[in-house]
Amino acid sequence: MTDVTSQTLRQWREAQGWDVPRMARELRKAARDTGEDVAAHHGLVKMIPQWERGNRAPRERYRLLYLKIFQDALGGRSQGMALGMEFALRLAEVRSRAASLPGPGQIGALEAAALAKPKKTLTPAEIRALAAEAIAHLHKVAAKLTELSALLGDDQAEAGQP
Amino acid sequence: MTARDDKIKQVVAELDRHIAEVEANVAILKALLADGESPGEEDPL
Repeated sequence: MTDVTSQTLRQWREAQGWDVPRMARELRKAARDTGEDVAAHHGLVKMIPQWERGNRAPRERYRLLYLKIFQDALGGRSQGMALGMEFALRLAEVRSRAASLPGPGQIGALEAAALAKPKKTLTPAEIRALAAEAIAHLHKVAAKLTELSALLGDDQAEAGQP
Repeated sequence: MTARDDKIKQVVAELDRHIAEVEANVAILKALLADGESPGEEDPL
């Protein structure tokens, strides 16, 4: 498991000799077999490259379909590869969540708006502490993304918000 | 499973935890704002 970026999705698709439309057909076929509802073919053709670039993370039902397809394609020969796939999908999901976090400025604006309206549930000090804690964790998210990119040997630290 | 793989998994787990903390705090701040806009403050007439 040396390459655990979202690019793994593309590499494993290409390892099967499948282009994006074929991958879409395989996802729809796997969904039919399990009775799942999935996006139309043209929708999948748009989404698959986004998943492979890490711009978006596939939802759980698509992650499960990917696992089913590649486990079937491997004939159950490589549990390690299936685990790698699962981890690559988890990594894509975490990076996508990190990319969708608000920045420190947006958190500060939320704090200011919350302070502007008197609250019964939280004191102003508690609201300030909540926002400060969120920003502190946001900085840790950025640091961990940088550390992760260094470990993966890529330059995909763009998901860092701060 | 190499030491590097273990380290990557550890960093992802820590990243996940920090993201969850930010998401939770932001959700509370947004909920406070939503409460402030509740109809209870409006004139009942």
